[in-house]
Amino acid sequence: MLKSTMIERQLPHGVADLYFEEAARKAQVEARLQEVFGQWSYSQVIPPTFEYYEALAAEASPQVREEIYRFPDRDGRMLALRADPTIPIARLVSTKLYDRPLPLRLFYIANVFRHEEPKASLRREFTQAGIELIGEGTPQADAEVIALAVTALRAVGLREFRLRLGAMDILRALLEPLALSETQSEPVKSALERKNEAALNDVLRQLSLPRQASRALLTLPLLAGDASILERAIKAFADNQEACAALERLRELCRVLDALGVSDAVSLDLGMVRGMAYYTGIVFEGFTRGIGFAIMSGGRYNNLLAHFGRDLPACGFAMGVERVLTALELQGNNVLSLAPEIVAELDSSPTLAQRVQAARAKGKRVEWSLRSSTREELIAFARQRGAREIWFADGSAQELA
Amino acid sequence: MNPLTIALPKGRLLSPALDLLESLGCDVHALRGASRRLIFDDAAHGTRLLLLKPFDVVTFVEHGAADLGIVGQDVLLETDSDVFEPLTLPFGFCRIVLAARRERAQTDWRRAASLRIASKYPRITRRFFVERGWSAEIIPLHGSVEIAPALGLSDLLVDIVDTGRTLKENGLIELETICTSQAALIVNRASHALKFQEIQSLLLSLREQMEK
Repeated sequence: MLKSTMIERQLPHGVADLYFEEAARKAQVEARLQEVFGQWSYSQVIPPTFEYYEALAAEASPQVREEIYRFPDRDGRMLALRADPTIPIARLVSTKLYDRPLPLRLFYIANVFRHEEPKASLRREFTQAGIELIGEGTPQADAEVIALAVTALRAVGLREFRLRLGAMDILRALLEPLALSETQSEPVKSALERKNEAALNDVLRQLSLPRQASRALLTLPLLAGDASILERAIKAFADNQEACAALERLRELCRVLDALGVSDAVSLDLGMVRGMAYYTGIVFEGFTRGIGFAIMSGGRYNNLLAHFGRDLPACGFAMGVERVLTALELQGNNVLSLAPEIVAELDSSPTLAQRVQAARAKGKRVEWSLRSSTREELIAFARQRGAREIWFADGSAQELA
Repeated sequence: MNPLTIALPKGRLLSPALDLLESLGCDVHALRGASRRLIFDDAAHGTRLLLLKPFDVVTFVEHGAADLGIVGQDVLLETDSDVFEPLTLPFGFCRIVLAARRERAQTDWRRAASLRIASKYPRITRRFFVERGWSAEIIPLHGSVEIAPALGLSDLLVDIVDTGRTLKENGLIELETICTSQAALIVNRASHALKFQEIQSLLLSLREQMEK
C-alpha cells in the first residue's frame, strides 16, 4: 500500500500531465485538424464526457465494452465515460439532427477513456479526432471520407503514411451463403485476421465447404496491393453476385480516389477482417513510419444509427492524436518553441507598454520581466528564457546572439 | 528499396532460421560466431538482423521495432499478440504437453480439488484448463520446469517436448498433447502496409526456397 501522502503525488496508471511544448504541439495538431475538417464543410460536435452506460455500451464492440469506465450516479443509474465518440454522435443524430438536410458532415476532437493497457502512446485517457459523414451510402461518400483522412494526415505533417482499405461487404458476401455457426466462422476470421494461410487452409478443410467457396476464402489474404487486385478478385469471386456488386462499388470508389488525387496513399487489402461486427462496407486503417500500430481507423457502419431509431447510412474515421504526435516526433517534425521572442522590462513607462501591446498584436511572443533588476541581470534572465531581444524600461533595446 | 529489419530468436530455432536466410543469399556469417553483438546489418541485401530472446521477437515485431520475425508458434500462442503470421516454416517442430511424474500416471487429476501446474506457458496452460472447465493453480516458471513435480512445487507440468527425452530422463510421462508448434514468420501490421513490396518479395522467395 502506498501511503496517502505518496498517493497524492502520483497519477493513476494510464493518464498523463501534458505541459509546455508537448501540450502546445497537441493543441497545434488539433487546431490544424479542425481547420482541415472545416475546409471540407464539416461542423464540430462536442458530445458529453459521460452519459448513460446503456447508451454507450449498446453498440460498442465487446472489447470496447469491457474497457468502458462506468460508475453509479447518485440516483443509482449506471453512467459511463465515453469510450468512442461515434456512439454519442449516432445518438445525437438519431434524436436531434435526423430531419436536417442530409448528408450531415460532423467532426469531433474529444478525449476518450478506456480501461486498457497503454500501447504506443494511447493511454487510458487519449484523444480522438475524427469525422462522420451521415446519410449517404454511395462510393462517393466513402471516397470523401478516405480522401479527408489522407488530407488530414498530410496536413498535420506526417510523411510516409499509408491507408489500408478493405471491404467487409465482400467478406460478408463470401461467408454468409455458407451459413456457418459462430464457433465455425470464428477460426476462419481469426486465421484471415492474422493472414495465416496454413491455419486458414486447415480450418476450411475441417469445415468441408464447397470447393468454390473454400477457394474464394483462401484467395482473400492474397488480394492485397494496388487497384490491379480488383481484376483478380472479380475473377476469383465471379460466381458470387453480392461479392461482385461489392467489388464494383470498390472499383468505383478507387476511380473517385484517383480523381481526388489520394490514390497513391491508399492500398487495398481484401483480407482485412478487423471490426467485422461493426462495419458494413469499406473499412480502413492508417499507418505511418515509426509506429507499429494503426494511427487511424475507420469505415462504413450502416447499422449503428438504426439502433437509436433512425436508419441512416454512415461512414467515418477516428485518428489517435497522441499516436500522431509520437509519429511526428519520431519523424523529426517537432519544431515548436515556446521561448519568448522579446523580454521587456515592466515598469511605469507607458511607451514601452504600448510597444509591447503592438508587438503582441502582430503575433509576437513577448514576456514581461516582473522585477526591477540591473541590466546584466535582465540580460541573463532573457538569455535563460531563450529570448532574442530585450526591451529596457528606459526605451533602449538589445539583441541577443 | 526500404531496408527490412528481421528479428531472430536465440536458442534452438536460430540455426535453422539462419540456414533459411542464408539460402536466400543473406550474409549470416557473423551471427553464427560467438559475437556479442545483437544487431547485424547486411547493407547489400537491405536487411538488418536482430538477435533476441524468443518472447522479445514478438514484442519487437508487434511494436514495429522489427518488421518481421521468426518465432515458434508456442511463443505466439502464449503472447496473444497482434501480428500477421503469413508463413509457417519447416523447422522447430515440437509439442506442448501436459505431463506428470511416472509413478502418478494413473491418478485421475480431474478429481483433485486444487491442481498446481508448473509451466513456462501460463496462458496456454490457463486456456487449456479453462476450456475443460477444470480449475488449476498455475505456477509460472522460466525454465527447468521438469523438476517442479519431483520437488513438490507442482502436481503437473505443461512444457514443450521435442523428442521426449528430457521428460523421460526426469521421470515424467506425457498425459495429453495440448498443441503442436513449429516455426513461423511474423510481420508487423504497419510494416505490411508501409513496406508491402519488400515484404511480398521476401515472402515469395521464402516460399520458393521452401518448395525446393
